[in-house]
Amino acid sequence: MAASDSDDVNLAHDDTADDDYFYLDDTDYDLHPPQASDSLDDDQLQGSDSRNDDDDDLLQSSDRHDDGDLDCDDNDDGDENALEEDDHDSPISGQNFSVLTEADIRHRIKDNIAEVSSVLSISKNEASSLLLHYNWSVSNIFDSWFADEKAAREKAGLFLEPLIESPDHGSSICVICFEDYPCDGTKSTSCGHRYCNDCWSSYIKTAIADGPQSLLLTCPHPSCRAAVGEDMVGLFASEKEKNKYSSYIVMSYIESKKMIKWCPGPGCENAIDFVAGSENLDVSCLCSHSFCWNCTQDAHRPVDCETVTKWMSKNSSESGNVNYILAFTKPCPKCKRPIEKNMGCSHMTCRAPCLYEFCWLCLGDWNNHGTCNRFKGNPEEEKREKAKQYVMKYTHYFERWATNQNSMKKGAADLQKVQTEQIEVLSRIQAQPLAQISFVTEAWKQIIECRRVLAWTYAYGFYLPEECEAKRNLFEYLQGQAESGLERLHDCAEKELLSYLKDKISVEGFIEFRKKLTLLTRVTRNYFDNLVTALQNGLSDVNSGSSSVSKKRKSNWVAAAVNAAPVLDTNINDDSATAPAAAASAMEPWACAYCSYKNQSSATNCAMCRRGSWTCNVCTYANSRTSATCAMCTEAPEP
Amino acid sequence: MSGGIARGRLAEERKAWRKNHPHVRGGFVAKPETLPDGTVNLMVWHCTIPGKAGTDWEGGYFPLTLHFSEDYPSKPPKCKFPQGFFHPNVYPSGTVCLSILNEDSGWRPAITVKQILIGIQDLLDAPNPADPAQTEGYHLFIQDANEYKRRVRQQAKQYPPLV
Repeated sequence: MAASDSDDVNLAHDDTADDDYFYLDDTDYDLHPPQASDSLDDDQLQGSDSRNDDDDDLLQSSDRHDDGDLDCDDNDDGDENALEEDDHDSPISGQNFSVLTEADIRHRIKDNIAEVSSVLSISKNEASSLLLHYNWSVSNIFDSWFADEKAAREKAGLFLEPLIESPDHGSSICVICFEDYPCDGTKSTSCGHRYCNDCWSSYIKTAIADGPQSLLLTCPHPSCRAAVGEDMVGLFASEKEKNKYSSYIVMSYIESKKMIKWCPGPGCENAIDFVAGSENLDVSCLCSHSFCWNCTQDAHRPVDCETVTKWMSKNSSESGNVNYILAFTKPCPKCKRPIEKNMGCSHMTCRAPCLYEFCWLCLGDWNNHGTCNRFKGNPEEEKREKAKQYVMKYTHYFERWATNQNSMKKGAADLQKVQTEQIEVLSRIQAQPLAQISFVTEAWKQIIECRRVLAWTYAYGFYLPEECEAKRNLFEYLQGQAESGLERLHDCAEKELLSYLKDKISVEGFIEFRKKLTLLTRVTRNYFDNLVTALQNGLSDVNSGSSSVSKKRKSNWVAAAVNAAPVLDTNINDDSATAPAAAASAMEPWACAYCSYKNQSSATNCAMCRRGSWTCNVCTYANSRTSATCAMCTEAPEP
Repeated sequence: MSGGIARGRLAEERKAWRKNHPHVRGGFVAKPETLPDGTVNLMVWHCTIPGKAGTDWEGGYFPLTLHFSEDYPSKPPKCKFPQGFFHPNVYPSGTVCLSILNEDSGWRPAITVKQILIGIQDLLDAPNPADPAQTEGYHLFIQDANEYKRRVRQQAKQYPPLV
């Protein structure tokens, strides 16, 4: 979201602020120290050419690119320039990418051309030919130019002197159409081969119509390598063809950069400049399309690209089958009327008079619905063929993956609606300032992100080997926690909000609702952070029960607790003394409530499954034995 | 793309060709197609390429047809030997595969018909193994030099001089 050009800074201010907050939030567990963008590269070059070039050139070029040490005698000016540059090129600190609009790209291209042209004292046209031949690498151009200017010129087809003498009087024959022309009716590029304007025009037009190879167009003379560059195109092509040519230039620039890719979003013309070395590969374009920078599939953190590719190709090969199985409706488990899912969350309510409430996924009663993320093979089914089992397993994971994907899309549409309509309605009806209502959009953004992550964890789950039982348990536990947290959040944002949109109930009621939704948002975020961290570690916590890992794990959870509730800071270190439950049983070995492993008295979390020792009644988080209050939602355990 | 200059250029090519003394043409023939009603179609030329003296191709006078498009000379003509012509760089359809005839690489509008014909004559005895266009010619050229020679000589006999 680096608002990279002044044109973009004028976007609705609230929006960008919200977005930034969201993105930062979203990546906060793997914050990177701010890294300079590729402008760093340029600056180094700037430094290197200072050795080769005379001072005049230096001053000229430092107008745009400034690394501070060039003009240390003129500090004020330097600072100003540095600030300007930050606005243009540097991603927001911690952001793993920046979005480039077409204007940004053209701006960079212009900068590159201007730099090469001023450092080498050649025309902009020649500079752009060089850049096209050297794959837009300014440093390579400088290297080979200063090593052997003639060879560099040769490579790019730029001749200092015409290869043939042009007649300075009389007429000449254009050897394309064999017509006689007076000298001023013909033109040549740097090589001196002259052709008539009509032939030039059709030569250039044909080349542009043929595609981007026209960027490396050479003189029509057989075996002449002279470049036909932008200046000739400018003279002989129509407006439409010039636009095409310049879009080829933009394409060639982007394709030459390893760290820049086009956004694959439908109809989107932006590109993403990725910060090399970032661990987080998910990027999000201004067009709101999120994708993985590595494989350009839809964003799929925390699942790796290989799994995603496998999963997507499996889906396409089996989709006919699975689509049939899933169709679009399910019968109500009670009255058997077909039901179509039209909202995002899995809490279904059948129409009157049935009004049966059930989970869309497992069709179980909603009232005692815990989690249904775990795949349970029916013992009778096991007698059937293995293949059948496999299809069922796949269907299970596919359905959950697809449902969450759809919920994510629905969520994105809902967020749109919230931002464009509902926020204002809510503000009017509840008589609250807009700033007090931003928690609704926060909640929706969290829902969308979580649906995305949750969907991909089902692809992960499908490929998680059956035999790694401990890993599977931990995974399913974390996923289940995250999913039920998300369902509560989604339900609250989707359904409870509706009543506040209709009429004003009471200020207290609304404040209560705000509290609840904010809490749910925070808790859900923490659950998902845990899930994402665990999957990115490859669920390594369960493999080695060594103390070093358990410390690391604990520090993660402590970090989560600090995130959730800064007020807890003081409790975390000395709560063993104050927590009644912990104090009473501090010296006794204890059995884990989840996996029944008998733990040492000193263990704060189960040494086997890493879960805590007590479950929060409010948010169901399994807390460390020594926590006096829930690390997720700060509730105290019920006595 | 204005195709207007194709015919003008071809008329000039025809004039330039005729200015050459038959002796200079060295056995090459190049003339536009004459339709049954007697009119001349400048867009299709029937040519003859003589095999170079001192090579296995000597004695053969190989018929070649040039098909020009309205985009000529921005685009190259299509050059065809008879179907099934034996040569590593000639497609089974007879189309010649040669860099200067490829619009994406070697073609330039200033290449003349004469240069095309000489280029193809050179190609006959100097095939380009990096760019095979038919299986038979390519495999024999690579694997069985004697059989390849025999086939070339046999083909030369199939195309004796027309006069």
